[in-house]
Amino acid sequence: MAMSLTDLFHQLSLLIGLPVVLLAGAGAAIIVIARDWRVALLGYTVVSIGLALLFSQIIPTQWALLQIIVGGLIAVMLYLSASQLRPKPHELVHWEARWPRMASLTSFRALTVGLAAAIFFLVHESVQLPQLESLFRDALLWLVLMGLLGLALHEEPLHAGLSLLTFLGGAELLLFTLTQRRMLVGMMFGGQLLLGLAVSYLVLAHGLRARVSDGEAT
Amino acid sequence: MITGPVLLLAILVIAAVALYVLRRLEWVASLLAAALTALVAFALWNLPLDAPTRLAGRIVAVGQAVVWEDISLHITPASRALLVFLFATAALTFILVWRTYQGRTFYPFGLALLALWSVAALLQPLTLAPFAIVLVSILSVFVIQAGRAGETHGAWRQLLFPTLSIPLFIVAAWYIDQAPLNPDDTTAYRVASWLLIAGFVLLLQPAPLHVAIPAVAGQAPPVVAAFLWIGGQSVTLFLLQRFLVTYPWLSTAVDSARWLLWLGVFTAVLGGVLTFAQRRLGRLVGYASLYDYGILIVALGLRGTAGLPTAIWLLLTRTLSLLTLATGAAAIRHYMASDRLERVSGAVSRLPWAVIAMIVGGFGLAGLPLTAQFSSRWALLQLVAEEDPRWALLLLFGALGVVLGSVRAGRACFGSLPLAPVERESHSVALLCAALVFCGLLLGLFPQLLTGPVAAVILPLSVLGP
Repeated sequence: MAMSLTDLFHQLSLLIGLPVVLLAGAGAAIIVIARDWRVALLGYTVVSIGLALLFSQIIPTQWALLQIIVGGLIAVMLYLSASQLRPKPHELVHWEARWPRMASLTSFRALTVGLAAAIFFLVHESVQLPQLESLFRDALLWLVLMGLLGLALHEEPLHAGLSLLTFLGGAELLLFTLTQRRMLVGMMFGGQLLLGLAVSYLVLAHGLRARVSDGEAT
Repeated sequence: MITGPVLLLAILVIAAVALYVLRRLEWVASLLAAALTALVAFALWNLPLDAPTRLAGRIVAVGQAVVWEDISLHITPASRALLVFLFATAALTFILVWRTYQGRTFYPFGLALLALWSVAALLQPLTLAPFAIVLVSILSVFVIQAGRAGETHGAWRQLLFPTLSIPLFIVAAWYIDQAPLNPDDTTAYRVASWLLIAGFVLLLQPAPLHVAIPAVAGQAPPVVAAFLWIGGQSVTLFLLQRFLVTYPWLSTAVDSARWLLWLGVFTAVLGGVLTFAQRRLGRLVGYASLYDYGILIVALGLRGTAGLPTAIWLLLTRTLSLLTLATGAAAIRHYMASDRLERVSGAVSRLPWAVIAMIVGGFGLAGLPLTAQFSSRWALLQLVAEEDPRWALLLLFGALGVVLGSVRAGRACFGSLPLAPVERESHSVALLCAALVFCGLLLGLFPQLLTGPVAAVILPLSVLGP
């Protein structure tokens, strides 16, 4: 018997709950903490997949799958930008001098994520959002919190852009619960794709500047 | 029959694609873009909205809405006034960008920005309109960066706050839909009000959220930056006015007039003070425009019978002053290969008209006598003084900062030239700068020249609907 996409998601619905929320939450935390761009992109991919599975519980499955497509396209664009900024094999660059350069230490970012987690566990029960189940509310709060934290900690466009996309993804959990209109879903995903393109462009502009200034210094 | 919004957007999109192909032939691209936008402005101003008309053998209903699912685009008398203003400003900007060497990618992207601003002005339901402004801010990244590898703060900050505002507007829309279901409970309206106010604060970006303005000013070509501010701020304020008229409970729930006044005065004072402290021309333009932006917010906050006409008047005159200042600064930056005050010494001997334009533009933004802004600014100060004289004094204090900053930048252009040879300003740059200065002077001497255009848009703006 042929299985449709909707059937597949119904079969997976037992898994779509706490495990997916934990997975997406971990992906968001990785975006904030990790310095390596490959790890950060992996974190964003995990967030995108987790969000798509969560969206499938609140909007039609076909629409929810758009999140995977859009997230995948954004990840590819960012990968293409970032891969151009990798040091060439013959370039001997100390790892601390490599792109992306961070404004803070990894341990510091991990500490702030830990503090944010403590705040999250203290306040999440008291936050009331309309029409949203407690699990989705927790997912939203964590993703928005991580998004804002990433925006505060990162000035480098790759990590800051991924944080902004994480923030939007979290907010969409509420938006799609409240308003299940095809137009809104299309607009949000289209906007995210354009945002991803702009972020990829900025990643390249910012990274090339660092390489140019390194070249001038040597 | 072709509807007005479809025709307008189709023309802009097709032209943007064509100009992207032609962008290397800069004079062709700029003249085509300027001619097209001037033509659209003229047509919009003259074609009737209430009856179909024949254009190139086809029947066009300019005022007819185009509906798709539950959204629609509709050219109303009020939105037509805004579009005419935007397209006329764009026509002038395309010429200025060409002659002051601001980057070739601006021509196609400028048209795309105009298309999105048009969507923001025409879109219904109203709560989705901010989405078009967010798309503008994302697209602006490409014209701010203009193909340069370098600092990305300006482009990033330009897109950050508007993007964060989107969830607020959509959740507010849900509360607005819910409110009639329980008419006795005002909670939904109150929550929607706060969400909308927060969303507009992120879109308007008054001080202390103004960080994008100086960052863009320091990074983007000055004339392009001025165009982004003029277009973006006027569309956002137009949208705010639409919200305030469409949802009267928004004014009462959170006393929007009061917070607009406070934000405007704070923005103006901060902008004025920081203008004086700048050591780079680009950032000087940014902070002077921030001062002027604060004044515009104050005018909208007055919202009395005289507040709205004054705001429209200011919008027109600030455009001229801001473009004059930006053109002067752009020319100096181009010819002197720097915009640092310590490196523009001697500019006046090579670029006299550019220096004059920069100083006169700065004085215009400060609202000094004999400049385009004087009469509108004077009217505003009188209105503000009626509310509270201390606010008027604070605005004058901010103006003092802009005047001193302009004088300081002007003084830096005197002295001896650097050792490297500096080319003399081209005739076209001199002509454009002189024309802008002359227009400012003319409006300073005869402000009644703007009475007609202002009167034509007051009524539609005061009664505009969703």
